Amino acid sequence: MLAGAGALIVLVLVLRSPSSEEPAAPAIQRGGQVIASLRSEPRSFNRLVSRDYATEILTLLTQGRLARINRATFELEPWLAEAWESSADGRTHTLHLRPGVTWSDGTPFTADDVLFSLQAVFDPKAQSVLASTLLVGGQPIKGTAPDAQTVVLTYAAPSGPGLRLLDNLPILPRHKLQTALAAGSFVSAWNNTTPPSELVGTGPFVIREYQPGQRVVLDRNPRYWRRAPDGGALPYLDRVILEIVPEQNAELLRLQAGDLDLTSSELRPEDYVPVRAAEEQGRLRLIELGVGTDADAFWFCLKPEVKQGKDPRFAFVRQPAFRRALSHAIDREAFAETVFLGAAVPVWGPITPGNTQWFRPDLPRYAHNDAVATGELSTLELADRDSNGVLEDANGTEARFTVLTQRGIGTYERGTAVLREELAKIGVIIDVVPLEVGALIQRLLACDYDAIYYRPILTDLDPAGNLDFWLSSGSGHFWNFGQKTPATEWERRIDTLMLEQAASLDPERRRQQFGLVQQIFAENLPVLYFAAPRLYYAHSTRLRGVVPSVQRPPVLWNADSLSVTN
Amino acid sequence: MRRAGLALVALIALVALAAPWLAPNPPDRTFSESLYAPPTRVHLFGGGVRGPFVYQQRLLSRLERRFEDDVSRPVVLRWFTGGRFVSVPDGEGPLLLLGADARGRDIFSRLVHGARPSLALALAATLAALVLGALVGGVAGYAGGLVDDLLSRLTEFVLVLPTMYVALSLRAALPLVLSAGAVFGLLAAIFTLLGWPVVARGVRAIIASERERDYVAAGHALGAGPWRMLVRHLLPSTTGYLAVQATLLLPAFILAEATLSYVGLGFPDTVPTWGTMLQEAANVSLLGQAPWMLAPAAAIFLAVLGVNLSVQGRGRAPVQLEP
Amino acid sequence: MTAFVARRLLFAVALVFVVSSVALLLTRLAPGDVTAELGPFAAPEEIARARARLDLDRSPLEQWALWLVRAGRFDFGDSFLYGRPVRGLVADAAGNTAILAVVALAVATALGIPLGIVSGSRRGAAAAIIRSVSLVCLSLPPLLTSLLLVFVAATTRWLPAGGMTSVETLDGGWGTWLADVAIHLPLPALALALPIAATFERLQAQSIAEALQQPCVTAATARGVAPREIIVRHAWRVSLRPICGVYGIAIGALLSGSFVVEFVTAWPGLGRLMYEALRARDIYLVAGCAAMGGLVLAAGMMIGDLLLAIADPRVREQESL
Repeated sequence: MLAGAGALIVLVLVLRSPSSEEPAAPAIQRGGQVIASLRSEPRSFNRLVSRDYATEILTLLTQGRLARINRATFELEPWLAEAWESSADGRTHTLHLRPGVTWSDGTPFTADDVLFSLQAVFDPKAQSVLASTLLVGGQPIKGTAPDAQTVVLTYAAPSGPGLRLLDNLPILPRHKLQTALAAGSFVSAWNNTTPPSELVGTGPFVIREYQPGQRVVLDRNPRYWRRAPDGGALPYLDRVILEIVPEQNAELLRLQAGDLDLTSSELRPEDYVPVRAAEEQGRLRLIELGVGTDADAFWFCLKPEVKQGKDPRFAFVRQPAFRRALSHAIDREAFAETVFLGAAVPVWGPITPGNTQWFRPDLPRYAHNDAVATGELSTLELADRDSNGVLEDANGTEARFTVLTQRGIGTYERGTAVLREELAKIGVIIDVVPLEVGALIQRLLACDYDAIYYRPILTDLDPAGNLDFWLSSGSGHFWNFGQKTPATEWERRIDTLMLEQAASLDPERRRQQFGLVQQIFAENLPVLYFAAPRLYYAHSTRLRGVVPSVQRPPVLWNADSLSVTN
Repeated sequence: MRRAGLALVALIALVALAAPWLAPNPPDRTFSESLYAPPTRVHLFGGGVRGPFVYQQRLLSRLERRFEDDVSRPVVLRWFTGGRFVSVPDGEGPLLLLGADARGRDIFSRLVHGARPSLALALAATLAALVLGALVGGVAGYAGGLVDDLLSRLTEFVLVLPTMYVALSLRAALPLVLSAGAVFGLLAAIFTLLGWPVVARGVRAIIASERERDYVAAGHALGAGPWRMLVRHLLPSTTGYLAVQATLLLPAFILAEATLSYVGLGFPDTVPTWGTMLQEAANVSLLGQAPWMLAPAAAIFLAVLGVNLSVQGRGRAPVQLEP
Repeated sequence: MTAFVARRLLFAVALVFVVSSVALLLTRLAPGDVTAELGPFAAPEEIARARARLDLDRSPLEQWALWLVRAGRFDFGDSFLYGRPVRGLVADAAGNTAILAVVALAVATALGIPLGIVSGSRRGAAAAIIRSVSLVCLSLPPLLTSLLLVFVAATTRWLPAGGMTSVETLDGGWGTWLADVAIHLPLPALALALPIAATFERLQAQSIAEALQQPCVTAATARGVAPREIIVRHAWRVSLRPICGVYGIAIGALLSGSFVVEFVTAWPGLGRLMYEALRARDIYLVAGCAAMGGLVLAAGMMIGDLLLAIADPRVREQESL
């Protein structure tokens, strides 16, 4: 015991000395509150069963993970687990939990909580939405706890992402939720009528009160385990308020007025000017987050079961040459200028320069060239046979399509307008039909459309986390969902490569294989991409410690290090 | 007053009819260099040229919406050429009398072109709603008893029906791409259905109390049948109310077209309407620097003012509160 | 009198029943369902589970029957969006909207009726200005009016730019809460009241101008009665007829909430709830909101008819009140 105390004292001294060598940083003010806005209400406080954005932010603020991916550096950081070893075959990982961590109600945090969370994710009665993101080789992750501070995770197969998967798993308190899991009512445990005293966590804040329709108030967690660089307690802030402001224009007005410190999402290009004006008056700080990781996509439904034989246009739409021609016909520079007011970079595939780890600049690019486009189209026997400005194929079927998009989004409206103009120049006519989102998604799922212009969000920056998009059998393979067997040869090749890549432990090999996947995608173009926006964000000038990220939430992901000045 | 109102209405109708001639640009032509551009200033003298001229606008930064006039090249306005009242040659300009919107389309051209669908739809629907409402309200108020009860409850039922639900279901039931004519008919029908209950309730209230007046009893005594009673004697007492309802329904329908287009039941994108133009102006922080985006509201105001003055202009009132 | 009220109440119940059933069935038949909330790429099992939770795997008729049976026990189902029983959600939201509606109605009446009397009974600059202001209020869509008011509130900081309460009420008592709601009320109440005040003003102006044409008014003038007294004692009550007809609709519309105003000013009311429910196709919440909307509209119109009867004795006679 004495030796332990002595070791602790030495440890403290050792940890304190380096900081005295640093130049004196401006003293960080403790206390104060930050008001951020939310567009919608949390459906539940249980991240395991609900994936809406409000629940995600609340979980980031109140719960912890075993290891966290730093959203600015993309490195995996120790969090509730302070160290780990992995076996050579990448299937067994031994994690050592940080000692002395307690839940916000004082109960000690142990390996039992980790095992409980794993059990809840994979229990079919719990209906967890995270189950699919934590499968390795199609199997659940198994965990055992040799002692209270150690957890051994066993993967059914080698996993490319490896322990990065742990960023997806918030650890929930066993002592609060075990009865619900056993009774089969886990899916409604911690719904939004739960009294805040039940919602314990290991995060920097605890929920003080949820006022339905209005706001969620979070107070600092006095038992938060993380320490500031100077050894002091974190978080610096006393309170975080998530104000529910549903309308985006009103949200911007309140940000400019100082009612809000942070908004829920990046600025629209048209908001740049008023925010810049506010910045010049010293009321706001405008920052560039980087290039967004998702770009607007344009695709045709390529499901043979629905289109073959019933839609005469499918004969030429299914040919990659048709889509390549369309890609040639679009001037991406002009697209970036018109749709995003210049604040965008041209892209030709689903991975944008914003995804720095996986973006490949050396992929085939389709230069803007109407002559080449028309040439490609003529190889498919498409020509304007009756000089009416529309191409027809050998049977007289016109190249005229209905493009669905979501109503009310400025970039979609401008994007489809540009597409309509540019494609008309090569004789492909599109009619744009904006729909509200429920109707749009219903048609998307039923393949009841010609083409759609929309921005689907890839949830994970690591491609192994987006297998539902890349695999032909995936539920996110939106141009042709859930195929039993790959409909085309190139989709079969992508399937093989992706499964290999997801199970490969060598990062360089993974990058190579994924590069090949992107190459195949670029050659066959099931989906066309045009430009990825540069994301701008604004926050009040009182905030300090802001580390911006291109992923959402841009600032609150690092809330324990935020502070305010007066 | 009444004459001023009629003159205003006539002027607007003229503008609407002459839109293709009055507008300097096609309404759906996008000038990609002119997003959110301010109005082109017309100079009358100077510049070394004869006649009114403008300077070509140069885009400095799209994101920051900064423009600059190229003072080295004055562009003389052309009159009565190319089927337009006033225009500039292609490639020099553009001539944006009220600036451009978020997609670089000329607001003035869209405004005059938009007069037709907006006003035609609103006027047609208003008339239909007035006629239908007056009839139902008149019958209910005059007949009384069970008929009155039934019709009044029917009125309430239609009022209570949530429009958005009906609109969404309609959108699903109809084909994706509708012609402008089909949309016009559909919207006119929907607006009539929306508007008649309000008219009917007011008419019923008036007729129900007029019914007790002496001239009605006299009419009965002289043998007038119920329809004659209603149409020739009772309904005219509601003309004042109907006139006001016309003033109220007209702007409501112009604006409602934008709400319905949000659900997908509006005119196709290529047809500008005042309601949708106003919705695009919802970015309010923008309005401080671009107040010309509120031009459709001014247009709606003028149209409604004209109608109101025409129908609500009155003769001398024998009693006035002295100032 | 009691027979009148009883009849109307019975009708209100029937109306609510019909309207909520229609809303339920229409939502069921409209394209898309609540699973769109899960995002476009949710796993099929998740979609199936969500559908089962809302009884969407049963036929529309079966679902309707189930809902009716439960409604009889005052159980209106659960909301998918909010994870709570519909009953509590709708009641809370309706209460919040009612606070707003009462204030907005008071403001609209206080502004519209007197201004209408003034502009209808005299000519000159005052009448012209009032008429123009009314028409401007009618020409602006509620979206713009609300946003402009938020803009004014945000830049002048005289009033809070949205929401129903501030975070400071967390630790206060009833008094603080009331005061807090009171300063948050003017913004949305004004946004709601302006178009309705304009409507009242125009109707009142027309009615009073007509009423002033009546022979009894000429007679009174000839007798030497002062203008103000003529208006108040003779002309005004007669002129209220069409306004009472419309007043009931105004009450009902205000109580069922305006989606746009509540959305822009972040007021947690029934209009916003109804729209969110519809957008997400949260079917039981849709039915619950439609039921409440129907109830308050029917109640509003009954009040309007009562007012009409009070204002006009001729109507009173024939309704046998």
